[in-house]
Amino acid sequence: MNLITRRAAWAAIAFLAVGASAVALAGPAFASHVSVRTTVPAEMTVGDTVRIPVALSAADGAPLQGATVVFYLHASFAGVVGEAEIGRAVTDETGAAALPYRPRLAGQHEIRIEYVTPGQGAVEEVSTVFDVIGGEQLYRSAPGIDIPGLNVGLLIAVVAAVWTILFGVALLLVAIARAGGEGGAPGGGEAG
Amino acid sequence: MSDRADGRRDDPGAERGASTAPVEGRHGGPQIGRRHVLRLLGLGALSVAPLPVLPTLLRAAVDIDEPPRPQADAARTADGRIRQWTMIIDLRSCDGCQSVDKPPRCTAACIEGHFAPEPMEWIEIFEGELPGGGTQFIPTPCQHCQNPPCVNVCPVAATFSTPEGTVLIDQDRCIGCRICMAACPYDRRFFNWGNAPVPPESLLADYSPEHQIPVRKGTVMKCDFCPDMARAGTLPYCVQACPQRAIYYGDLEEDIATNGKVLVSASRFLTENHAYQLKEELGTKPRVYYIPGHGAAAGRDAFTPGRQPTEWPWVERVEGAVTWQR
Amino acid sequence: MAALSAWQERLEETALAPVRRTGLRYWALVAFLLAVIGWGVYAYSIQLRDGLIVTGMRDRISWGLYIATFVFFIGISHAGTLISAILRVSQARWRTPVTRMAEFITVVALVCGASFVIIDLGRPDRVLNVFVYGRWQSPIIWDVLAITTYLTASITYLFVPMIPDLALFRDRLSGRTSRWRGWLYRAVAIGWVGNVAQRRSLGTAIGVLMILIIPIAVSVHTVVSWVFAMTLRVPWNSALFGAFFVAGAIFSGIAMLIIVMAILRRAYSLQEYVTEKHFVYLGYLMAAFAGIMIYANISELITHGYKMEEGVEFQFRQLFLTQFGPLFWFYLLGGLVAPIVLALLPRTRNVPGMVLAAGLVTTAMWIERYIIVVSGLRVPLMPYEPASYAPTWVEWSMLAAGLALFALLITIFTKVFPIIAVWEVAEDHEAMLARPDIARPAALKTPELAEGAGR
Repeated sequence: MNLITRRAAWAAIAFLAVGASAVALAGPAFASHVSVRTTVPAEMTVGDTVRIPVALSAADGAPLQGATVVFYLHASFAGVVGEAEIGRAVTDETGAAALPYRPRLAGQHEIRIEYVTPGQGAVEEVSTVFDVIGGEQLYRSAPGIDIPGLNVGLLIAVVAAVWTILFGVALLLVAIARAGGEGGAPGGGEAG
Repeated sequence: MSDRADGRRDDPGAERGASTAPVEGRHGGPQIGRRHVLRLLGLGALSVAPLPVLPTLLRAAVDIDEPPRPQADAARTADGRIRQWTMIIDLRSCDGCQSVDKPPRCTAACIEGHFAPEPMEWIEIFEGELPGGGTQFIPTPCQHCQNPPCVNVCPVAATFSTPEGTVLIDQDRCIGCRICMAACPYDRRFFNWGNAPVPPESLLADYSPEHQIPVRKGTVMKCDFCPDMARAGTLPYCVQACPQRAIYYGDLEEDIATNGKVLVSASRFLTENHAYQLKEELGTKPRVYYIPGHGAAAGRDAFTPGRQPTEWPWVERVEGAVTWQR
Repeated sequence: MAALSAWQERLEETALAPVRRTGLRYWALVAFLLAVIGWGVYAYSIQLRDGLIVTGMRDRISWGLYIATFVFFIGISHAGTLISAILRVSQARWRTPVTRMAEFITVVALVCGASFVIIDLGRPDRVLNVFVYGRWQSPIIWDVLAITTYLTASITYLFVPMIPDLALFRDRLSGRTSRWRGWLYRAVAIGWVGNVAQRRSLGTAIGVLMILIIPIAVSVHTVVSWVFAMTLRVPWNSALFGAFFVAGAIFSGIAMLIIVMAILRRAYSLQEYVTEKHFVYLGYLMAAFAGIMIYANISELITHGYKMEEGVEFQFRQLFLTQFGPLFWFYLLGGLVAPIVLALLPRTRNVPGMVLAAGLVTTAMWIERYIIVVSGLRVPLMPYEPASYAPTWVEWSMLAAGLALFALLITIFTKVFPIIAVWEVAEDHEAMLARPDIARPAALKTPELAEGAGR
C-alpha cells in the first residue's frame, strides 16, 4: 500500500510537472512573450493613404524579424458584422513593419493586428481604435457619351444650318407665288 | 444691282438680280441680295434656335409629369458619401448548384423575388469552356457598366445610370425599340414580347424603376442589383440564396463587400485573387467582378458538365399568359 | 418650227394622258393593292393586341424583318438623290425624263421606311416620347432627325421642279376635269406664269436644293447604318458601315428606279422619252455600284476573316455555309455579279435584260439587309446555343403591305402629278435643237431630227 501510494504520488507529481511545463511552454500565449505594438497615426482622412506601423519583439526584447502580421478592420455591412482583412506586412530586421492603409469610411474604427506564431498557433494581437474624418466622394458615376464642348452643339449647328436653307427655299417659293400675281413677260414662251 | 423693269424693290421675297436673261435650271443662278440672305439666315436661325430645348419645352407645354426616378435618395455610407454598388462572384465556389442538385439557387431566388416572367433569367448561369477542356459556371447578372452601351444608345433615356453606378430601366418611358438589346454585349436585357406569365399578386405592387413590377408589355427588363433592398441594408436575392456563398455584394466607395457571412475589403479581395471582368477589352467598365475558378471549393470537378434547367414557378397560375423561348 | 411644236404637243399630251383617262386596269390594280394593305392592317391589329410575340423575334434575335425592311426602303429612297441631284449637278442630260419618277420613289420610299420603324416598336403608343424625352446622343434620334430632314427636303425637291408642269396641268385641264383637281392644280402651281422673276427664283431654288440634298441623303443612310455600327456586335462593329450602306442604298435605288421606269413606261406609253438608252445607262451605273459593293464586301470580309477574332469564325460559318449560306450566295452572285455580267453582255444590254438585273438586285439587297440584321444578332455573346429566327405570317403580311403601299402611292401619284418633267425635257430638246452641230447622245434623238436635216 505504501508502494502504490508513493507510485501514485510520483505519477501525480509527474503529471503535474508535465502539466506545469506544458503551461510554461504555452506560456507565451497567455503571458505575451512576443509583444505587438502599434501607433496608429493621429489624424486620418478618408481616401488618403497612411502607414500603420507595427513593431514586433520577442519576449526578451529582441526585434522579431520576418514575421507576418495580419491587419483586420472591424466593420459591419448589409447586416453582417465582422472583420475584414485589410492587409498583411512582414517585419524587417528591426522588427518593424508598416501597412499602407487607405481609410474608406469616416467615424471611429477598430483595427486588430494579429501575429500568429508559426508552428505553435499562438496568437498575439493588439487592437486599437482610431478616428477618421470624412472626405469627398471617391467614385463619381458619369456614364454616357459626353464630349465636352462639342457634343450636342455641333449636331444642333448642322441641323439648324440645313433647316435654315430649307426655310430659305420655302421663302423662294413664296416669292414665286407673289411674282405670279404681278404681270411681267413670260420668258421663252414655254410652260405658259 | 440694276433697277428692275417691274419696279418691285421692296418685296422681301423677290430676287434682286442683274440679269434678265432666261434662267437656266443649273447651279450658279442670279445673285441674291446680301440683305435678303441675312434676313433669311436670321429667320432660319431663329426658327431652329429652340431646337435644343425643344424636348423640355414640349414637356412643359404638355404638362407631363416626369416619372419618378430614384435620384434624390441615393444609398449612402454612414458618412454621407454615395455608395457604389458592386458584385464580386467567386467562381472558385460556384458549381452551378450541382452539389445541391437543384436548378441554380441564385436564379431561382431572383425569379421568385422579382416575379421575373418566364423565360427571363436576370442572373443567368452560363457554362463556359475552359482552355484545358473542362467547364466553369459563370453567374451573369447585368454588369451595370460604367460606360454602358445600353444607356448610350437609348433614344428616350428610358434606361439610365444612377448615382450609385447601377443601370435601371424606366418601363413607363420605354418605347420598345430594342436598340439597347442590340447594344448590350452580355445578353442581359430581356423584352416583354407578349403578356408575360407573372403571379397575380405582382400586379398589385407599386411600380418604380427599382422595383420592376407590374410588368409592362412591350418594354425591356433586366437585373437591377436590387437597389431598394441594398439601400435598406439587405443583400440582393441572388447573394442571399447562394448555398456556397459565392456571390459577394459590396460598395466600392466604402471598399467593403460581403457574401452574407464573411466581410472582405473589396479592393484587396479583388486584387489578391486576380479578379477579372467579362469582356474587359470592350471598355464597358462593368461593376461585376469574377474571381477565376470552377467550383473546386464546393467540391466540383471541372470535367463534370451540366446544370439543372431554370424553372419559373407560376406558369400554371396565370390565365391568358404566353411564354416564349429566348 | 412645226416639227418642234408637234413634238412639244406630243410630249404634253403624253404627260397629261394619265390624268385624263383612267382605265379599268388602274382600278383593278388599286383594288388589289388596297386589299393587300388591308390585310397588313389586320395583321398589325393582331400585333397591337397580342404584342410583338406574334412575330418571330425573341430576346436573342430582337430585330428581324421589320428593321431589315426599314433599312431597305430608306436605301431605295436614294434613287431620287442619285438621279435628280447628282446627275443634275454633273449636267448629265440623259437623266431628265426620269427625274420625276426618281423623286416620286424617294418620297414614297421614305414614308414606307419610316412606318416600318413604328411598326417594330414595342410601345407605339409612346412614340411621342422620342420628341419629348429625346436624347441627342442616340442613333435613333439621329435617324429621326435625318429622315425628317430628308423627307422635307425630298418633298420640296419633288415639288419645286414640278411647279411649271403643275401650271401646265392647271392650264390645260381647267374646266375639263373634276373640281377638286382643278383646285388642286391651281393651289400647287402657286401662281406660276413663267415670268422672269419666277424663273429666276425657281432656278435658284432648284440649284440650292440639288446641292443640299446630296449631303442630306448621304447622312441619312449613314446614320441608319450607325444604328448597327454603334453597337458592339461582332459583325456590326465596323467603321466601314456608313460608306457601305450609302453605296448599297444608291445601288438598290437605281434598281428600283429601273423597275418603276419599266412599269410606268409600259403603262403610260413613254417609249419616246424613256428609251432603251436610259435603261442601259442606268444599268451601267448599277453595274458600277455593284462593283463598289463587291469591293466593300471584299474589304469587310478579308479584314475580318484574316484575323478571325472571337465571333468572326461563327459569323463566317453561318454566312457562307450553314444558316444563311443560300441567301448570302444568292446576294453575292445574283445581286452583285449578275448585274455586271448582264450589263456587259450585248445580248442582255436592253430593257428586258436590265429589268431582270434590277429585279435581281432589289431582291438581293432586301436579302442583304435581312442577313445583316439577323446574322449580326445571331452571333452568340455568351456561351449559349445560338437562337434561330424565322419571320411569321404577321411579318410577311406587313412586308407585303409595305410594298403594296409603295406601289399604291406611286400609282396614285402618276394619276395626279405629271410623271415626266415636261418643261425640263422640252428645254433639253430645244437646247439640243439649237446646236445641231454638237454630237448628241442617241437618247435625245427624236424621230424627226433623225429624218429631217434640222429644221
